[in-house]
Amino acid sequence: MPRRSVVTLAFALALAAAPAAQQRSTIPVNYHTLDNGLKVVLSRDTSSPIAVVGVYYNIGFRLEPKDRTGFAHLFEHMMFQGSQHLGKNEFIGLVESNGGILNGSTRFDFTNYFQIIPSHTVETILWAEADRMRGLNITQENLTNQQGVVKNEVKVNVLNAPYGGFPWLDLPQIANTNWYNAHNFYGDLEHLDAATLGDVKQFFETYYSPNNAVLVVTGDIDPSQTLGMVKKYFAGIPSSKLPAPLDISEPRQEKEKRVNKQDALANRPALAVGYHAPARNTPEWYAMGLIDDLMVQGQDSRLYQALVQKRGMTADVNGGTNILLGNMFDVKGPTLWSAFLIHDADRKPDEILAVIDEEVARLQKTPVTKDELSLAMVKRRSRLYAAQEEFAGFGRANLLASFALFDDDPAKINRLEEEFSRVTPELIQKTANEYLRTSNRSVLTITPQPPPAKDPEAGVQGGTR
Amino acid sequence: MNRHLARALPVALCVAAMAGQPSARQEPFPSTPPKAGPARDFRVPEPKRVTLDNGLEIVLVQWGNIPKVRVTLDIRSGNAFEKADEVWLSDLTGNLLREGSATRTATQISEQAARMGGSLNVSVGGDRTTIGGDVLSEFAPMMVELVADVVRNPKFPGTELPRLKTDLTRQLAVSLSQPQQVALEKLRAVMYGDHPTGRVFPTEAMIKSYSADEVGDFYKSTYGAGRARLYVVGRFDSATAEAAARKAFAGWGKGTPATVTPPKPTTERVVYLIDRPGAVQSSVLIGMPVIDPTHEDYIPLTVMDALLGGAFASRITKNIREDKGYTYSPFSDVSTRYRDAYWAENAEVTTNVTGPSIKEIFAEIDRLQAEPPSAQELTGIQNYMAGTFVLQNSSRSGITGQLAYMDLHGLPASHANEYVKKVHAVTPAKVTEMAKKYLRDDQATIVVVGDRKVIEEQLKPFGKVVVGK
Repeated sequence: MPRRSVVTLAFALALAAAPAAQQRSTIPVNYHTLDNGLKVVLSRDTSSPIAVVGVYYNIGFRLEPKDRTGFAHLFEHMMFQGSQHLGKNEFIGLVESNGGILNGSTRFDFTNYFQIIPSHTVETILWAEADRMRGLNITQENLTNQQGVVKNEVKVNVLNAPYGGFPWLDLPQIANTNWYNAHNFYGDLEHLDAATLGDVKQFFETYYSPNNAVLVVTGDIDPSQTLGMVKKYFAGIPSSKLPAPLDISEPRQEKEKRVNKQDALANRPALAVGYHAPARNTPEWYAMGLIDDLMVQGQDSRLYQALVQKRGMTADVNGGTNILLGNMFDVKGPTLWSAFLIHDADRKPDEILAVIDEEVARLQKTPVTKDELSLAMVKRRSRLYAAQEEFAGFGRANLLASFALFDDDPAKINRLEEEFSRVTPELIQKTANEYLRTSNRSVLTITPQPPPAKDPEAGVQGGTR
Repeated sequence: MNRHLARALPVALCVAAMAGQPSARQEPFPSTPPKAGPARDFRVPEPKRVTLDNGLEIVLVQWGNIPKVRVTLDIRSGNAFEKADEVWLSDLTGNLLREGSATRTATQISEQAARMGGSLNVSVGGDRTTIGGDVLSEFAPMMVELVADVVRNPKFPGTELPRLKTDLTRQLAVSLSQPQQVALEKLRAVMYGDHPTGRVFPTEAMIKSYSADEVGDFYKSTYGAGRARLYVVGRFDSATAEAAARKAFAGWGKGTPATVTPPKPTTERVVYLIDRPGAVQSSVLIGMPVIDPTHEDYIPLTVMDALLGGAFASRITKNIREDKGYTYSPFSDVSTRYRDAYWAENAEVTTNVTGPSIKEIFAEIDRLQAEPPSAQELTGIQNYMAGTFVLQNSSRSGITGQLAYMDLHGLPASHANEYVKKVHAVTPAKVTEMAKKYLRDDQATIVVVGDRKVIEEQLKPFGKVVVGK
């Protein structure tokens, strides 16, 4: 397989070229796979004495059990509730008392756990991540506690929030037809309540093994020393037999879908469009990235100019691939490219859609000029840097882990610019014609639902005082 | 306590027991974490400062490995300079500034910034308005020139005014649909009264009334070289960037000196209840005025805050989240402005435990006032603050923010590199002293936005309940 030779080569080059590796922002990538199947990505960056330690498990919310919506995310919370040598609160306490910050997140195709820490504490944190990969130690009390916390998370982000779940949680449920892609990932509250310690145990055993994970360490580290530490704490964790992959594919969408949602907490209408995006690593996938740059990124973008600058239909238009949950690089399965905005009631959704249609048609009918393509490329180059720098360098770890987890190829991070530069005006046109078809689109509109008008003093939703 | 419960649990329930044993050839897994190595040196990067004849200061900082640069013009303008009938006039001024210069349309500004790999954003805050953005390194001088053109030569096109006012009106409506914003507005109004800090939101009528002339007047009275600093941070050629800045800002008028009357916030123990019928959570905001960043107690105060509610492992968060499950993301912080600050705890709690949540928050304040934390707990928080200080100064935006913070408050250049030492100098007794001296909980202002019919009774134990906006 080509993978082994690529891996070896990347490691050899990085070792040989370590001092010069920072030039032109080429990222050193040391990639190894331990005997137990754990993929390890190490990348040195000495700009600050900090490091990122991340563990990415190859289990996203798509694949959670059908009678346990929201379980992948609830399980993420359980990873902070106790392992063999770290009781409740002790993982968090260990990271913070070593000067670090931490979080975990559940996404379409992975669940990640990460710490941004002073670089001299890397070994301590590796030990802690290994301890919880070795096994959890969860009580019913801790499960009940986190069911309460997660239900509060759903309340603050969705149930008690205007535009809660718009459009990141709602749009996939409209656009997709395969249950794995189309269910409520945050979870029905009853499903969250129904979770048992048995579910926790089974989920851990099924998915949380070294051969289903990537460990990434970036920052002010010595790669060979760090690899030694990784082996010391992780090499003894046994691999497990992974379940056969499930079919998460989406059929080609042939008819536009439109859904309106009444929102009792919102006081202005909103609109989102979502299109099924090209599959990962195809030429069209890269082309869609540049279409994103041209269409919706920045105040120079076509949709911003048409909807905001020229027509004043909204103050801003937001959008992208895998929007609000990540970017085009950190999702593997079916995903959407979308755009969304909040507007006033005197603008009908069809009026706004007509403007979007006009801009899409222009892209489909007329090839972009060389000048526009070079504009898209300079934006893209800058965004690739921005993606790496996100959150004190966590972004770089996120990209490296994603390319290791999904493509077994973290060094791909250094070839992205080149891949984007291969996109031609013809490919952009072709991609726009297939993927920005109206029949490939789902439209979500939010309509404010007036509160029951019995108490005239009641409305904080009114918007005027 | 939870730790002991977890360890006492029968093995049958422990996933760990099922996860397999380490293979024989491995060393046994250590039962305690390896100690961290020696901390590496960290110094906030040293800026180069140049002051022009008109008072504008240029601040250049080389930092990082990524070939990008952040250009930020920081002006002492913003909501703190608005009169009572001018709320958000500074926002409208900032937005209209972005609509074009004498020689560039808004679209041209957008496209030129995009061709540098960035965008030009105007951001209006209370004490400061910033204009700028991140671009690829090679464009540093061009970005400096673009920022200078936008700020020095505004066209203020009246044709764009109706659109921008419509946008602000929508933004106002959306803000007021968020319970946290409604709570903030109330807290500020109660504590700051007629001071600009007490006015978070305008009325729709106010926005409607603003004219291009008023925008122009606000610009004239609050913009100018004497109130501005240009921060250039990242990887760039210093000589050309400095030359571009000198050229672009030479001759810009000084403007009127910034005069600010610091507020005299007041507080008394009253519970303000704003009804949100049917709300599944209550938005709780508990606040009280404290000392500002120039005070010698400020760093000890923030150490106390981090231990009490500012960190994930803090006491209030452990209590109402990790123990009780009442809430998801509670936090306390010290919110600062020029010569002003208040402490606040923010929590979105499930409706039927609104009263119990507030009770626990006050119980944690009382506990910290009664007994100093252990040395171990305090050291953990001090390490956390030292570590996060390094994180905050490990990005272009973080370094720019740190310098702008020090410059706004007039902190000496030594502040940045003495910060960690001062954090570590705080003793357990000092933490308790800070809690007693500044968290006068018997005078705390409590704001709750939630379902009145469920929570009103629950709130009565905490003081007089005043219902309504």
